[in-house]
Amino acid sequence: MMLTVVEIGGYAAGYCGRLFAQTGNLVTHVKVGDLPPAWTSKEAMDVFLHSDKTMLESQDLNEVSRLAGSADIAILEASTADEVESLGFDDWSCPVKVAITPFGRTGPHKNWQATSSTLLAMGGFTNLMGDPDRAPLTLPGHFVEFQSGGFAYSAVLACGLADESNSIDIGMLEVVMALSQFTTVMWHCADIVRSRHGNDFWSVVPTNLFRCLDGWVYINIVPGFWDPFVAFLELPELVLDKRFVTNTRRMQNRDGLHEITAGVLAKLTRDEVQQRAVDCRIPLGAVLSFDEVLDDAHLASRDMWISRTTPSAQTVSVPRLPWLCHDTFPTDQMSDF
Amino acid sequence: MASGPLRDIRILDLTHVWAGPLATRILADLGAEVVKIEAPMGRGPRFYGGIPIGGFIGREPGDEPYNSNAAFVKLQRNKKSVALDLKTQDGREAFLNLVAEADVVIENFSASAMTDLKLDYRHLQKANPKVIHIAMPGYGLTGPYSNRVAFGPTVEPMSGLTQVMGYSEHELRSTAMALPDPIAALHAVSAVLTAIQKRERTGTGELVEMSLHESAVSAHGAWIVEAQLGNRNLTPQGNRHPEMAPHGVYSCKGDDEWVAIACRNDEDWRSLCICLGEDLDAGLTLSERMSNHDEIDKYITAWCKMRPPAEVVHTLQEHQVPAGHVRITPEMTSDPHVQFREFFVPLENDTPIPGNPIKMDRISPSDWTPCPRLGEHNESVLKNWAGFTDEEIDRLKHLNVIVDKPPR
Repeated sequence: MMLTVVEIGGYAAGYCGRLFAQTGNLVTHVKVGDLPPAWTSKEAMDVFLHSDKTMLESQDLNEVSRLAGSADIAILEASTADEVESLGFDDWSCPVKVAITPFGRTGPHKNWQATSSTLLAMGGFTNLMGDPDRAPLTLPGHFVEFQSGGFAYSAVLACGLADESNSIDIGMLEVVMALSQFTTVMWHCADIVRSRHGNDFWSVVPTNLFRCLDGWVYINIVPGFWDPFVAFLELPELVLDKRFVTNTRRMQNRDGLHEITAGVLAKLTRDEVQQRAVDCRIPLGAVLSFDEVLDDAHLASRDMWISRTTPSAQTVSVPRLPWLCHDTFPTDQMSDF
Repeated sequence: MASGPLRDIRILDLTHVWAGPLATRILADLGAEVVKIEAPMGRGPRFYGGIPIGGFIGREPGDEPYNSNAAFVKLQRNKKSVALDLKTQDGREAFLNLVAEADVVIENFSASAMTDLKLDYRHLQKANPKVIHIAMPGYGLTGPYSNRVAFGPTVEPMSGLTQVMGYSEHELRSTAMALPDPIAALHAVSAVLTAIQKRERTGTGELVEMSLHESAVSAHGAWIVEAQLGNRNLTPQGNRHPEMAPHGVYSCKGDDEWVAIACRNDEDWRSLCICLGEDLDAGLTLSERMSNHDEIDKYITAWCKMRPPAEVVHTLQEHQVPAGHVRITPEMTSDPHVQFREFFVPLENDTPIPGNPIKMDRISPSDWTPCPRLGEHNESVLKNWAGFTDEEIDRLKHLNVIVDKPPR
């Protein structure tokens, strides 16, 4: 059954609406006010978020309320809790509605102002990114908003599956904190404040960015991959090297191991490094530009791109839904049944 | 088990590490009955030689250290545990009996693992034509990279993110925290729910691939479109922003204390000028602020350096300027706002664990359950789901097909 979805607000609501649109639902984006600043041009963001939607603009709150109330689902993203109320959200009569705000609809900071970078800072991410002796780095892009939109999508679908009406409150700060790695337990259970170490993951060695002849690669050698990594370096003598026999020892001798690794990789091309990683089965990823991502043969083979036309009549490739559905098992992985 | 809208959904969870378990934790928070199918050694050996990366719940390993690994426990609330050896014929058959009663099977093994176990979608479908199989291999089940080894930190640069992350074009940085994992986790939740919704219409199950790689690429879609349009220079800008100025992370009074500040528009800028009380021109336009960003940053830094971060944030927020303290964990968990909303959940020996950001009626941490012990629900799940008798269960125990402790 096709759902009717009305989406109001910025990039979190937009991403939520994008998921609904790409899964075959009827989505209307209602532009009520100015959008917050974006990391890309408006044209790029519009094509990414709003292809396959109906676009409306209205400053009339009664009209907005009527549109939202007549939909199956209303998604509202606002800059504060008070703004949610001022738009009449609580009176919208649609069965399921979501309010996405930086700090949620309750609590002492419900009307604080925020951007993606201030939320990443407050949510513990920024302290982990960048170099130890320099300013921490924020994460460019719209991770906070898009993940908030993802939570909204999931919450709405869950209500739909149970045939329940609901009013959902999503705070973006909580989204950031919910997606933290082991940072919080590391403090509460091991008294360790996780901190930033540049490109180094720190607690798993070697895990870092290394330069090769024509680019960069990232290596993540969790303990079970040490022996294959030694084969990858073509330095079998390292297996017996007491400096590196355990992850703890490798942490203690981090600089020496990085120097050895850098020395090997500096003489190889990125393709050669990747082929060796495949042959030795170690986790390694090349640093790709967005142009290279677009040209990537693997993604092309998996039909990653769909074509859309920009308002200026340019045809561009846009990522499909992040997941792929099959009625039958893909032949590449066939073996005896 | 948590109450919630997914209370009628049964999920068999074969996931490990981060992306998969986070996805199933979110589904369990929403009320799904999630049964974690664990390998007997899935939580590590019976005795630990060291301290795991996140420490032990309760700070001590206790008698069952494999049940106290904090980084693991953090991701398992509201789930049940069946410790079942799928590499045995009996274990595989028991699993397929559970599949017959399940709505979803989710795993994040390598692309060939389920086929090697003879548990790929064809086998699951034979056991239950309505079952949905969510496969989360790093690079998907098909294509040139499908057999590559993938972890979040190595997939991240393959997504293009590193092109725009760093202090400058010559100082690229990784997030060094496996960002594709939480992105894929949330996409996997969306995929599960979308597939269930679709099944209500079609009546049949399906195989859904949720690759870590494609999930990250998809999340960077706006940049990928931008790369084709050429409207923007896509290089690392440190903490600067293409449409906001000033925008940065500024040093405050104290050791390694920082505050993120952003002016979204002219109004924010005028308010910031009032706070700084300096000879800043409140009438500067965005392009003028961009051109003079270095100079503006000097004023902001000088002002922040005189004040602790709490004072900076309080002052700026009073004037409606977005500002946030670069916080570490104890500062997050003690935040009055975070405490007011009871976001951290003290289920595990009073350890604050991040809650679920979806706040709505009929979801309440008050009925959430802590991480189960290894194999805690072997008997109840095999009996209640698949009708196993006591004798059959005793036999599986005797053969070590089901266990409640890692093997010696």
